[in-house]
Amino acid sequence: MLNRNTLCSRLGLLVAATTAFTAAPALAQSGTLYKLDTKCSVKGGAPQACVIEAVNEGNATLYRHIMGKTVETVRVTDAPVRMSLWVDSTKTWKNLDSAAARFSTNTICFNGRDLCAINPNYLNSVREDRPDATAGRDLVKVQFGADGRIDLTCYDDGCKGVGQ
Amino acid sequence: MNPSLNGSLRGFGLVLAGVMALPMGAALAFEAPRLESSNAQLIARGGGGGVRAGGGGGGGARIGGGGGGGGGRKAAGHSGFSNAGGGLNRGSTKPTGGWSSKAQVGGGIGGGGGPSLNRPAAATRPAAATRPATATRPASGSRPGGSIGSGDRMASRDKPATRDLNRDGSRDYNRDGNRSLNRDVNRDVNRNISRDVNRNWNRNVNLNNVNLYPGWARPGWGVARPWSYGWYGGWATPTWGWWGARAAAWGVATLATAAIINDAVDDAVNDHTSYIVVPNTNYQLLYGTVQPSSSDSVSFVVQANGNNYQLTANCNQGTINGQEPSNASEAELLNAACQVAYGSV
Repeated sequence: MLNRNTLCSRLGLLVAATTAFTAAPALAQSGTLYKLDTKCSVKGGAPQACVIEAVNEGNATLYRHIMGKTVETVRVTDAPVRMSLWVDSTKTWKNLDSAAARFSTNTICFNGRDLCAINPNYLNSVREDRPDATAGRDLVKVQFGADGRIDLTCYDDGCKGVGQ
Repeated sequence: MNPSLNGSLRGFGLVLAGVMALPMGAALAFEAPRLESSNAQLIARGGGGGVRAGGGGGGGARIGGGGGGGGGRKAAGHSGFSNAGGGLNRGSTKPTGGWSSKAQVGGGIGGGGGPSLNRPAAATRPAAATRPATATRPASGSRPGGSIGSGDRMASRDKPATRDLNRDGSRDYNRDGNRSLNRDVNRDVNRNISRDVNRNWNRNVNLNNVNLYPGWARPGWGVARPWSYGWYGGWATPTWGWWGARAAAWGVATLATAAIINDAVDDAVNDHTSYIVVPNTNYQLLYGTVQPSSSDSVSFVVQANGNNYQLTANCNQGTINGQEPSNASEAELLNAACQVAYGSV
């Protein structure tokens, strides 16, 4: 019985160590990634100066688009990729319906053109992270399902009619 | 000990071992495509034809069509769906060159300097008629070894270039030998071997250790360049102190314009090619390797005569590896590297 207890406690330690090991990368990425002075637009309106703060929080990266006194925050997670928008009135995250990016204009848009920003940092990261999927691509769109996961990804001409 | 408990513990141990081995295995699995890609690029360059590396990133790996079927870059047993995930992701991995703190907006961006999902207007690129002629961008079949300056200018450049190389490469030999004999020997040797390579370019670089496709080297590269300092976005063809007299001696009136160089990068990006041919030279500038090293200097890798050279240039002083260009080709290279690093697009 003693041996069994000892063995179990050692196993527990091993499991704990393994868990800590696999969780470490997420912890290592915490903090502000960058602040970017750039231009944003809301609902297809005129471009306006904005600052994008990219911050890692746990398993997500938050993109705060600060336009004067207005702040629009988009949360992005990986595995699976999900994007959601902070709704301040309800203090909840609402899943996005779609996102799109055009590399040649360094633009990323969320929910159609509800919120668009020039963010070369984001696109540089995507491009370098997924070299095969993005090489030779300019326009990328994703549509999210009701569960927040990607239902559809399209590129360039494949996006004609998508999300219209 | 209970045999069944012993057995289950042993099985649990195996699972744990598997979990601990997984990260390394997964890392290797993710790294493999990049290595294959880079090797394929090298083969494509060396072969002189298929720039796209057997279908390349754009073709062979497209969603649903990729993997083994498309470009042949995957070994048997791969599903072909390895890239079938979302085209966007978290965007939190720091790209080569780091994060920019100020986005360059304005010229070339659709929507009057603001964000836009519309394709940039064609007017932002030089019209086809003003693009470099075939002579400045060789056909795919002759790219790597091809002579860019095969036009009139090349013909007029041959003589001075041969003279220069005789000076650099075999002066001692000329001194000791028969003059007419040397003329024959040197002409052939120099043309094929060392005409364009400055003997101070001795920093060969292993391209396997170089990222030829950093995140910014893509459509929209001019704005995507992650450095926000120096002459970024505002550099124009400078008036280097040495330029006037040297240009006259070389018989060169101007250097390639910013539009020509930008267009060459645009085309290379669209073709998923790692280099641009520096106008009016035999140099291939690996544009993705261009990085500013101070407010007015850049480092880059250039290919010449089948070798790769890591060079630096000071765009303010107009020097390459600390020296003024010794011929028009080096001046063109200096100009092109500075344009890619700092020039307006």
